[in-house]
Amino acid sequence: MIAHDWFVEHRTDFVARTLEPDEERSFTEHLGGCADCRAAIARLEQELAWLPMGLAPVPPRPGLTRSLVAGALGERRGPPRWLVPFALAASLALSLGAWFWALGTTRAFERQLAQERGRLVEELAMTRDTLGIIREAGMVRHASISMGKKQGGMLIFADERTHRWNVVVYGLPASEPGEVCQFWFITDSGMVRGVEVKTDGRSPALLTLPMPPNARNVMGAALTIEPMGATGAAPAGVELAHLML
Amino acid sequence: MAVPDSQHRLPRPDAPGPRLLSDAREASLAAGLIARDERALVQLVEVATPWLLAVAQAMLADRDEAEEVVQEAFTIAWRRVDLFDQSSGRLMPWLLRITRNRAIDRLRGRRRRVDKARRLLALGGLGAGSAAPVEPDEAGTPGWQVHRAVHAALAALPPDQRDVVQLAYFEGLTHSEIAGRLAIPLGTVKTRLRLAFDKLRGGLSSLKDWVV
Repeated sequence: MIAHDWFVEHRTDFVARTLEPDEERSFTEHLGGCADCRAAIARLEQELAWLPMGLAPVPPRPGLTRSLVAGALGERRGPPRWLVPFALAASLALSLGAWFWALGTTRAFERQLAQERGRLVEELAMTRDTLGIIREAGMVRHASISMGKKQGGMLIFADERTHRWNVVVYGLPASEPGEVCQFWFITDSGMVRGVEVKTDGRSPALLTLPMPPNARNVMGAALTIEPMGATGAAPAGVELAHLML
Repeated sequence: MAVPDSQHRLPRPDAPGPRLLSDAREASLAAGLIARDERALVQLVEVATPWLLAVAQAMLADRDEAEEVVQEAFTIAWRRVDLFDQSSGRLMPWLLRITRNRAIDRLRGRRRRVDKARRLLALGGLGAGSAAPVEPDEAGTPGWQVHRAVHAALAALPPDQRDVVQLAYFEGLTHSEIAGRLAIPLGTVKTRLRLAFDKLRGGLSSLKDWVV
């Protein structure tokens, strides 16, 4: 319990608001029940009413007075001042985010494009190489192949410059189960096993083949039907074509 | 204060013109506010804003926040004019009191004194927000004579008393905060403030009936 004298003593401090927060609360509570102090406080407030004008006036920034009127009237104002830097920061963060996202997306797209470009360059080189063999072929040989009612053939473009062949096998049905269509080189030292040829009865099989290693003289090629998995050095199955250069 | 060209035309807040308020004019302004006359609000904002900004800015040391406090004061003046007791005071002191109390509430509520003290120290101490000397080009500002009188009353105080008034009244510090700031006993702060306010009450008594 605070004695009334304390409130009397601190009236000016209450008006000046120099009391500590808890003292100020006590004083406010006291005023509710003390008419003398209320009257004294009102008198002190009047006596010190103009004291704040001891400070030099601060000219308002352009447009402030209009804004203050609008604000007091409750008219819609611009965003709160604290919101401006916040909005700027947010938009900057969004811009940076968008920029990083766009950068990431662009980089991913660039990587994809680079990969695609590499693939196309490789395909173009292969196509040019294949066409080059055909264009530069020193010898072209063809053998017709009959398999039942099917009529196909084997066509060889031999490029002596690069020592490679383009071999086209066409018109042959798909191999029977357990069998494969086998390509052979005919050399002066015998038959040399080449690659298996996938036939499907619809599209031709196109092979670009280097000459077999350790073969001094390749004289021709043969196509046979071999049992699947056969690894023999010489053909054991039915010969479909035999073509000498 | 600019007189509207037409009774139905709201004057622009920034419009230049004579800016004097007679006793009758202030009464008219108060009556206008009570009657919800927007022209009265416009004129009050024109006259009072520089002084209210001075109070809020001296305490908060933050221009943006000071403007927010002044906005609050005018909003109260417009929407809660019923709180204004014409019989016990003038309109301008009422606005000054609202502004000062709002600024102190903000100071205490947001615990910004430490930052503010740093800013004030950076600005060179007590002189930064203190009662400024009269500048000739400000003499046309309404209320300047009141400012001169208050300034003279403050200047008449002994320096040690003026310093505690500066910290207490114009910067919103409590007794203990002033004691800490000036490194003097709490009792000395209270004594100096009491002496200072007693002198100021006497010195400012003639202003009670002044109008801006």
